[in-house]
Amino acid sequence: MTVECLNALSQSALLFFLGVGLTLIFGIMRIVNFAHGSFYMLGAFVGYSLARLAGSFWLALVLAPLSVGILGALFELGVLRFLYRRDATAFLMVTFGLALAIGEVARLVWGSQPLEVTTPKALSGVIFLFGLPFPLYRLFLTGAGAAVAILLWQFLERTRLGLLIRATSQNAEMMHALGTDVRLVRSFVFGIGCALAGLGGVLAAPLVTASLGMAVNVIIDAFVIVIIGGMGSFAGSILGALLVAFVQIFGEYYFPDFAMALMYLVMLLVLVLRPGGLLGKEA
Amino acid sequence: MTRWRAALSPSNCALLGAAALLALAPFVLPVYATTLATEALILGLFAMSLDLMVGYARLISFGHAAAYGLGAYACGYVLLHTALPMLGAIAAATLFAGVLAIGIAWVCTIATGVSFSMLTLAFAQLLYAVAFRWTSVTGASDGLAGIPRRPGPFGLALFDSRTGFYYLVLFCLAAGFLFCRALVSSPFGAVLRGIRENEAKTKALGYDTRRYKIAVVAIAYALGGLAGALYAPFAGFANTELLFWLLSGQVLIMVIVGGAGTLVGPILGAAFFLLASQILSAYTDSWALFFGLLFIAFVLFAPEGIWGLLTSRLVRPKARAATPDAAA
Repeated sequence: MTVECLNALSQSALLFFLGVGLTLIFGIMRIVNFAHGSFYMLGAFVGYSLARLAGSFWLALVLAPLSVGILGALFELGVLRFLYRRDATAFLMVTFGLALAIGEVARLVWGSQPLEVTTPKALSGVIFLFGLPFPLYRLFLTGAGAAVAILLWQFLERTRLGLLIRATSQNAEMMHALGTDVRLVRSFVFGIGCALAGLGGVLAAPLVTASLGMAVNVIIDAFVIVIIGGMGSFAGSILGALLVAFVQIFGEYYFPDFAMALMYLVMLLVLVLRPGGLLGKEA
Repeated sequence: MTRWRAALSPSNCALLGAAALLALAPFVLPVYATTLATEALILGLFAMSLDLMVGYARLISFGHAAAYGLGAYACGYVLLHTALPMLGAIAAATLFAGVLAIGIAWVCTIATGVSFSMLTLAFAQLLYAVAFRWTSVTGASDGLAGIPRRPGPFGLALFDSRTGFYYLVLFCLAAGFLFCRALVSSPFGAVLRGIRENEAKTKALGYDTRRYKIAVVAIAYALGGLAGALYAPFAGFANTELLFWLLSGQVLIMVIVGGAGTLVGPILGAAFFLLASQILSAYTDSWALFFGLLFIAFVLFAPEGIWGLLTSRLVRPKARAATPDAAA
């Protein structure tokens, strides 16, 4: 029981990195980003290469999300920027197209074999918690998730830029009229969202290897988290990540036959009871 | 006189011409191309069914693979486990998808906008998960294999050959298209367009919009189920990929690439999607890269899709004058 709880906590940290980026992007731009899983995958691959080149996992942990974030911001500047007057289907199609393109580029650069990423020495091995052995790396993940959540929360609540982001998500037109360069806020948030997905990818790689399948596998999980929590809600993405992780881990343990279906049932239930998500506005 | 003139309008003549060309295709095309054309027509029917929801009622479904997969699995199951002939199995599967859709639509229409899309996605993924685990019925990850094209009724064996099956699919697509066209130009279609433009106003006019939405989802699922039911005996198998969200995404792209709200556009979009992937994959292993870039280019440079490109010379100037801000 304890071990499952700890596992679920570390899993929810990974899911949180995915979900929070997606929900930030949705909050500011009202777009559903189908390429989000691809940025996560890219984070894992770029992290793999950087760790090999520089010989340091920690350097990769900083540089990989940064480069993924810059790539995301460039995509916003080069493509998305021209589409804000269009309807939701336009975003759907460009992000779907981007996901295809990133997947293929990743195959060309890194090949189609999954790549093993070694756990950094300082974090390999097990630790005894409540008298039970537990992988140190998973404990580190949980800590990293909590730390990033707190940092992001403080950033959104306490800084001027965070204020601008929250205000833009509530009323972009008013912010524009008040003299904020809303376009810059959008590029920045899209970049941050992608960087967070990339960070999730780097951190996930030692557990699941870096592979092309990552993108397809996680994007729906990410959607489920954001939908359950409420699209655009920061706290909702934490709640959604926790709920999905616990449903996944405990479902796998107690009802292996229904584990996959269980997550979608929870999502259906939440949406039927609260169409806007647990902490979202009514949609 | 006027009736004849209306029946022979340029658009009807073009459609008749296209139908005639498609009917002649098996005589001209090589064997491989006929198979490809059959698949394109099946996908065209599938995309057109989604266009009823997306293009006319702004119900953007992320889970239309559910309709396709339901139809394919139901048809495959009936053909494998009963003595029903193929036509009967296809009809049963169509009905099955349509009836199940009433329940799905009843739940999904509680929400609107993105939440509606996500509910449809949730149902499709739920069905995917079920198909993955319910081994005795769906064959789990192996799927259903060896689905026969059983002849009948009355020993009628017209449709089990390659060419025969092509005509069966062509007939279903033509009938489906005429049905959809009649539907969207009926008072029912007018209410759907009302929902698309302004649901609150339509409701205020006294229409129970939710009931209309459930009806159109059920019809779209039945037609999508018909496409899936045709696919099962066409390919000879049904697997979980037919229920996976990637297919839902692809069919939505076919609709948008072709031109939503035009019925013909999505059929062209499906054909384009299939042909482009075939042609690109013949030249390069990296076809997905070019495909992805193509979608992005379409959104940026051809916002009204293939149908918009084709008809822009005829229709654009008038439409522009009527709605000056439509292009912005």
